[in-house]
Amino acid sequence: MSQALYRKWRPHLWAEVVGQEHIVQTLRNAITAQRVAHAYLFAGPRGTGKTTTARLLAKAVNCLADNLADRPCDHCEHCLAVNQGRFLDLIEIDAASNTSVEDVRDLRDKINFAPNQGRYKVYIVDEVHMLSTAAFNALLKTLEEPPSHAIFILATTEIHKIPATVLSRCQRHEFRRIPLSDIVAQLTRLAQGEKIQCEPEALALIARYSAGGMRDAISLLDQLASTGQVVTLALAQAVLGAAAGQSVLDVVEAILAKNAAVGLDGVHRTLDGGSDPRQFGRQVVEYLRQLLLIKLGNAAQVDATAEQRAIMARHAQAFSTTELLRVIRIFNVAASDARLSWQPSLPLEMALVEALESPAAEPSRAEPARVEPPAIMERSSAPEAASPQRSPISPAAPAASSSPARAASPLPEKPVNPPLAAPPPASSKEATLGKRLADNWKQIVALVKAKNANAAALLNSIKTRSLQENILILGFASHVLQSQMEKPANIASVQEAIQQVIGEEVHLRCTTVSAQRSAPPPDVEHDGMVASAVRDLGGEIVDVQ
Amino acid sequence: MTWDILGHEWAVNLLQEHVARDRLRHAYLLIGPRGVGRRTLALRLAQAVNCPQPAAAGDPCRVCRACLQIERMQYPDLTVVQAETEGGVLKVDQVRELQHSLALAPYEARYRVALLLRFEEAHASAANALLKTLEEPPAQVIMLLTASSQESLLPTIVSRCEPLRLRPLALEDVAQGLQTRWQAPEAQATLLAHLSGGRPGYALALYREPERLQQRQEWVQALFHLLKDGRVQRFNYIKELTKDSNKEKEKPRDRLRQVVLAWLPVWRDVLLRAAGSAAPLINPDLEADVARLASALGPQTARQIVANLDRSLELLDKNANPQLVGEVLMLDLPRF
Repeated sequence: MSQALYRKWRPHLWAEVVGQEHIVQTLRNAITAQRVAHAYLFAGPRGTGKTTTARLLAKAVNCLADNLADRPCDHCEHCLAVNQGRFLDLIEIDAASNTSVEDVRDLRDKINFAPNQGRYKVYIVDEVHMLSTAAFNALLKTLEEPPSHAIFILATTEIHKIPATVLSRCQRHEFRRIPLSDIVAQLTRLAQGEKIQCEPEALALIARYSAGGMRDAISLLDQLASTGQVVTLALAQAVLGAAAGQSVLDVVEAILAKNAAVGLDGVHRTLDGGSDPRQFGRQVVEYLRQLLLIKLGNAAQVDATAEQRAIMARHAQAFSTTELLRVIRIFNVAASDARLSWQPSLPLEMALVEALESPAAEPSRAEPARVEPPAIMERSSAPEAASPQRSPISPAAPAASSSPARAASPLPEKPVNPPLAAPPPASSKEATLGKRLADNWKQIVALVKAKNANAAALLNSIKTRSLQENILILGFASHVLQSQMEKPANIASVQEAIQQVIGEEVHLRCTTVSAQRSAPPPDVEHDGMVASAVRDLGGEIVDVQ
Repeated sequence: MTWDILGHEWAVNLLQEHVARDRLRHAYLLIGPRGVGRRTLALRLAQAVNCPQPAAAGDPCRVCRACLQIERMQYPDLTVVQAETEGGVLKVDQVRELQHSLALAPYEARYRVALLLRFEEAHASAANALLKTLEEPPAQVIMLLTASSQESLLPTIVSRCEPLRLRPLALEDVAQGLQTRWQAPEAQATLLAHLSGGRPGYALALYREPERLQQRQEWVQALFHLLKDGRVQRFNYIKELTKDSNKEKEKPRDRLRQVVLAWLPVWRDVLLRAAGSAAPLINPDLEADVARLASALGPQTARQIVANLDRSLELLDKNANPQLVGEVLMLDLPRF
């Protein structure tokens, strides 16, 4: 088994470390001046050289070379031992597997012994962000004042998970993403050393793809080279699943031309050609981002040939900034959707169709109301039949308001339900009457109470109250209550009170609505939401607006 | 070649080359949708490196004891680690146990192979615990990981492996493969190839268990009925579907997930047709219904429904009440 290139080419000397000059210089100066700190914290994205630098530092402090500036020399006994992973005083701990406080206590017990061969005992604690809180705390005292022969090097990709008390005890070094040119240079050197033939464009693509991580870049080169062929741009694109630039342009053209069919076919053709859907999504986003840069007058940042620039300028012209932002957002979601999809192309297909929906239709995201006749829409926002006096959140309320679900079902509603959703014909007069009734209901009840306490109590126990023409229908929970109310004396006193308050004569009718699983009131549309709510879900009609 | 894998020629060639020229990596990551052949490929690689009498360099014989045991995942030097159930969680203890076993020399083979299946289900601490081992495992160890997508893993995991992205096959290849290898009748093979979206494993599972295909038909038919029904019937359907019955092993959540997964392809087809695309459908047997729905609803509505279904899958994963999820779906379904 051959070693992976990123392991084989791990730097053995300071000079071989790429892209982290600020850290290397500091550490070298510390070695020369013999001012090495007792605890370091290396943080930075993956593949930027944290573990490598930690091992170099461990080598340097134990190196036998006489000249301080030459350390590590990479050929003294200790350096070779470190390279082969058999140096007793370099203790590399995988903090992600040994997370518990017990592991830290174990470390504390052993740290007091003097080093076996070297000058220093170096503890490299890798992936340190995974230590438990208790483990971190157990480490604090040791980390603050370790024995003079001990050096701690903590390494992590997730600095935000490290407690502040640990941060303040360490000398902190931030590793940067390695610049594109440095990666390309290193890959070129490596390819020469390994006798891999490759095209410079392919190396540039690899470098761009690895987003500043040297390990990613070398792994990719390793993978491409392992086919035994010359590493060409075409091969790199095939393995990376990168689509050719033209297919991105095709999709963008389709979006501009508002042609969903062409766009979808373009997506399918690209994916059938072996491109990775997410990668393709990212490429579209990247292209649109460049358009945005051009649009905002930042064309200098765009890295493209004159020919590409001409196309980009034309595309940038065709988009408005808001439109461009919207499309970028849509595709960004599609490209970064981490959920496993049963059909890999689906997020892209949806993004494309969504991008083509005109922004004006945006509100209809919540209500796919295209299929219904516009009349219903108007009806659902019809004049209020009653004010939301008692409880604005009632089971009946969503039915009467324009909820998306209701709008989605194009039910041809019969106009035989006047009280619940007042139809246009009688609405104006009735609506005002209903509204006045609702507004003044408390006053009416108070008035009734003054004359006839019994009737007022009954009024307070009604379940539903609705108005039909000028008949007020009162719904009671039981037959007993209903018959009580129907006594002429009670009816009369209520009517009188209404007459007094509103100044209009209103007839009364009493019905029974049972509390549980009641049949919906006769005047409710049989298959509507309200009926379902009342009949199947045990809802009750509290108020009608 | 005796790898005998449907499609993925480039991946097979690459791995074969690695074995033959002794350029094996210490860790491979096989990425692709479920049923595309990730595990089969991983097992074949394990056979290729450990077969004592390879047919040719890099070609396992597939008849010797070692090969057969690996095929059944019962080989002493093959450690399989996966979440207990599909959709479960791969625990950190399992990774620690693996690390212990990897520290031992191989029992009889050249390499100790660790096969970590569906690694996207690994708990964050389990994934982190594997990092150091994955970067520099002991000699004589090969780690094989399978996952559904690169984005579902820690970036630090991906960058330590050699990733192989397995893509769905061309539909004709799947149909062809079903016919020649498993003697499926032509019409059925074509249907299965479409339904599977180019995933041979899934197509084969459907072929071997016709009741699953039957079940799908029922659910799709139910969908067409529900489109005509009123809310009461729709709610009743969901209620029946999500009823918790102790008799069957499957939970309401999983059942609803299955149903949604049966409906999603239909709506995706509607979306394609409504947008005017001529791409091949997933449900070629429903061509007429799909065309009818597409012309009636238009692309926006179709996309909205697909998005709703997708969203409800996500909600189910996040432990939302299945009945509620189903009912919300029903409310948003247009009446047709």
